Amino acid sequence: MTGLAIDDAAWASAWRPRSPADKVLISVGLVLSALLLPVWPGSVLVGLVAVGLALGPARVPARTFGRAVRAPLAFIGIGALTTVVEVGDGIGWAPDAAAQAGSLVGHAVAGSAAVLLLATTTPMSDLLPALQRLRVPAAVIEVASVTYRMLFVLLTSLTTIREAQTARMGYASVRGSYRSSGALAAAVLTRSWDRARRLQDGLAGRGLETGLRVLPETLPASRRFEAASVLGLAALAAVSVVVA
Amino acid sequence: MHIAEGFLPPAHAIGWTVAAAPFVVHGARAVVKEVRENPESTLLLGAAGAFTFVLSAIKLPSVTGSSSHPTGTGLGAVLFKPPVMALLGTIVLLFQALLLAHGGLTTLGANVFSMAIVGPWAGYGAYLLTRRLGGGLLPAVFAAMALSDLATYVTTALQLAWAHPDAESGFLGAAVKFLGVFAVTQIPLAIGEGLLGVLLFRVLTVNARPELERLGVLTPEPAGPAEVSRDEVHGVSRAQAPDETTGGER
Repeated sequence: MTGLAIDDAAWASAWRPRSPADKVLISVGLVLSALLLPVWPGSVLVGLVAVGLALGPARVPARTFGRAVRAPLAFIGIGALTTVVEVGDGIGWAPDAAAQAGSLVGHAVAGSAAVLLLATTTPMSDLLPALQRLRVPAAVIEVASVTYRMLFVLLTSLTTIREAQTARMGYASVRGSYRSSGALAAAVLTRSWDRARRLQDGLAGRGLETGLRVLPETLPASRRFEAASVLGLAALAAVSVVVA
Repeated sequence: MHIAEGFLPPAHAIGWTVAAAPFVVHGARAVVKEVRENPESTLLLGAAGAFTFVLSAIKLPSVTGSSSHPTGTGLGAVLFKPPVMALLGTIVLLFQALLLAHGGLTTLGANVFSMAIVGPWAGYGAYLLTRRLGGGLLPAVFAAMALSDLATYVTTALQLAWAHPDAESGFLGAAVKFLGVFAVTQIPLAIGEGLLGVLLFRVLTVNARPELERLGVLTPEPAGPAEVSRDEVHGVSRAQAPDETTGGER
């Protein structure tokens, strides 16, 4: 396995043909709602909506989404626990430990799910050109695009080299692991340079002058989707404020 | 150590984004200028970004049993200098948030501040200081990578403490808590990453001399200050006798 599960899901998602702007609207709206609304019921609703949209209309595989949500859980758990343990004269729980930890975990998990809704439906290569609207310089977007396109090649190199090293007992001891990791990092770094140089040679031969022009795929925005997003977010906010 | 999405209250999320913005804009300006002068540097910078991202897929065995991944910010600072790292680091952190679910969007500013600004600058400072004091390339790389890691971890812990002060002992108590909890993984990681840097540069000085020379790590760049470059030429001969240099720091 060399691909990134979230990226694979984004390319395969049913929302892939949607305009990135539409998906940014609903996802960022949910991220902000998770952050700003009271945890009950705001964050819970955000989490449910994000998961529901991802697994329902966007048809992201539940396994992929579940695994991706688990990624930040260790940090969230340790962080929340650390926050509610009180150090003063001794060590104890903060007065409202459970509520405080629950609120932190709620905001964080709901926010992570909302970010994942965007991540699992929109490939990076759709998202980066959209940054131009935010007045990010073209040169920066190009560097980011090259990064995106090159990282899969490098990940494949890394996996292959590590397999070879493992087969030769390269990770049999701690000492060996460090030596192998150093060689692995060096090999991947020199390969990245080599690849950049060869790409450059190829592009120069084709007359590279002012940046890497590619024809952007046109993914038209949907008025209905945007209107539904705004209405849905407003309803979510209203319900949260009223219930809380 | 990435702060997860939603973990910082809104005011902190905005504050750290505003604090990080000038550094990132400065880095972006440097990149735009560089690309305008040499269009081919787009590919090299992209490769550097991709390498920084991929580096986090390397697992380092750690004394505490868990394995951690290197952050690579110190390495990037030595190879590509901190201003460029501020931008590359931001791109990589955005990718990590969206491709690996590490970090988040509203916490991007805070993560950029600790990992793409404080870490690289601390690491680069340690690198320059070690070289000025007469240290060879490898000790300087060790210092850069270990220190950038430590600085990142301390910054993150302080950011968390500020956002979530202890109910009784306030910011200081919270800082002690967060520093203590994450020390278990982060301090061994810092040492491990320093060692990884040394091993990496031992290979690079043999296999990738021209690239290191072009980046100004090994030989003088024509425009660079004369005293630094003489130092660096000095570093080459030491770097080629690896046993002698690494013996001292293990």
